Amino acid sequence: MEIGPILRAMIRNKLGAVLITLQIAFTMTVVINAIFIINERSNLMARPSGLDEANTFYLSSVGYGDEFNGVVTVRDDLERLRQTPGVVDATVTNAIPVSGSGSNTGVRLVDDEAAATSFAAYYRVDEHAIETMDLDLVAGRNFAAEDVQWRAGSEAITTRELIISQQLANNLFPDREPNGVLGETMFINGSEAHQIIGVVEQLQGPWPSNSSVELSMLQPNSSVGSSATYLIRTEPGQRDRLMAEVEEMLVASNSNRIIRDLMSLEQTREGSYRIDSAMSTILWAIIITLIFITSMGIVGMAVFGINRRRKQIGTRRALGATRLEILRHFMVENLMVSTIGVTLGAILTIAFSIVLTSSFNMPTMAWYYTPLGMIALILIGQVAVLGPSSGAARTEPAIATRSI
Amino acid sequence: MLQMKDVCKVFRTELVETHALNEFSLTIDEGEFVTITGPSGCGKTTFLNIAGLLETLSTGQYLLDDIDVSTLSDYQRAKLRNQKIGFIFQSFNLMPDLNLFDNIDVPLRYRGMKAAERKERIDEALESVGLFARKKHVPSQLSGGQQQRVAIARALVGNPLFLLADEPTGNLDSNTAHGVMDLLQKINDDGTTIIMVTHDQDLASQSKRNVHILDGRISSSDLTTVNENAEPRAVFA
Repeated sequence: MEIGPILRAMIRNKLGAVLITLQIAFTMTVVINAIFIINERSNLMARPSGLDEANTFYLSSVGYGDEFNGVVTVRDDLERLRQTPGVVDATVTNAIPVSGSGSNTGVRLVDDEAAATSFAAYYRVDEHAIETMDLDLVAGRNFAAEDVQWRAGSEAITTRELIISQQLANNLFPDREPNGVLGETMFINGSEAHQIIGVVEQLQGPWPSNSSVELSMLQPNSSVGSSATYLIRTEPGQRDRLMAEVEEMLVASNSNRIIRDLMSLEQTREGSYRIDSAMSTILWAIIITLIFITSMGIVGMAVFGINRRRKQIGTRRALGATRLEILRHFMVENLMVSTIGVTLGAILTIAFSIVLTSSFNMPTMAWYYTPLGMIALILIGQVAVLGPSSGAARTEPAIATRSI
Repeated sequence: MLQMKDVCKVFRTELVETHALNEFSLTIDEGEFVTITGPSGCGKTTFLNIAGLLETLSTGQYLLDDIDVSTLSDYQRAKLRNQKIGFIFQSFNLMPDLNLFDNIDVPLRYRGMKAAERKERIDEALESVGLFARKKHVPSQLSGGQQQRVAIARALVGNPLFLLADEPTGNLDSNTAHGVMDLLQKINDDGTTIIMVTHDQDLASQSKRNVHILDGRISSSDLTTVNENAEPRAVFA
């Protein structure tokens, strides 16, 4: 290998190599950190809400006029929905998971305002919520029909049962299994004492970007007024058909209300993560552009270097270099530039990652990002320089005797 | 050592067919100092390129050290060039970014020689051309004559079967040219075969034999007066 002479020659003619080295280092810093951010976003977007999102949709019913009776309408609607062929179950709720809109409350284990408080989202639902949401009850029991309070307007809540998410249970009782929290008392909405009767494996709150998105609970009551939101789960493959049919059916069943906000949970998720998704797309565009520009820089430097040294290549061929040795010469030259570039890039990547972690409260980048990035950029460099190097290897040795 | 018989080299374009060498036959034995002369475009460089395995011949036979080179692959020709032929170019063809040591090292690296042996040979070659003290210098720090001496050291360092020199004094002033010719004479006196292409009749007269080419054929092959004791060589013409 000609590492020594190549390095010495590069040092004597260093401007191009330095510029490409810096470009590789900069590209690596941006690309690796961008990929890390994209992966973090993707992991966030991929978190399950706990619901059967593919087969669930919701809509709102808004009544008007003196003849509209909210309690009767909700009960009738739920009955109709549950009897519709293809519908697995339906419930009424005050909020939709991952929708960005809902309610939360402070949660304490003692009735003392000075005590540590967690904040958890709550869903006010009936006894069909677990089946409708397709939640996995890992401990305790579901609400019974008689547990559910149908409240009119601002009537006070009298129910005291709660089903909580396992993550909320872990936060409140760190060392206990789900069964171990059953019967425990929690204070919510100030001093309201409630008893935990069940634990579901997962149920996300309405705010996906919130750090406490996994802390949530179900309350067996529903405030029935002029409007109500129904969550409906269908059999697999029936959702889209039923969305149209259900809307039509509900409109036809009561002329004193309108149906609006008809949306699948998948659409809701897409909307809620639109900024994250757009950010990922933009970052991918930046990554591809940077890699393309860097690759073109490497190709440009290689082509320029080869054209500048065409007679030298012919001379090397005349002195006994085989085509493979000429190819190897330029591949090694690029390898050395790339290695210096990615080494500098690794330092910058780690430094930039530390800045991101400390400034934006991001998680620490996993150790393997940097070495994988180094390998990837070296491979990209080698692929980029392969074409020009192959061209150089085809140089005829007779060029050495030509006056060019 | 070098035998060409009925060698033809034809360059073809869409419109023209040029016979650069035409039924060209020549034998050069070990220890000779042969100059190749002729007017521009007569085929001197084509002969040099074919003799040096830089180009392939169209028809005919070329035996180099009893090896029929027309059947060799590009790889085998490269290896043969590296082991048997030392090149001296008109423009020296040194690598401007490499120092003298690394320049002379180039053919030895392609031979896969160990570092210690390479160093020994390079130091010896630089000593022989009087440039050992400047081995860390780059070519641009040398005069033209010194650069050509480095090129001669590079050509000699691999102990080739013969040296092929392409107008080695063409870019030098007359004093320096004489110095380079004296060096080549000394190398030849030490036993190395030299084939030199030149247009300079004065230089040609200093060799043992002059082959004159005209229109791709040998028009004459004469022993020069300087080498009165040399034996005449068989020539196919």
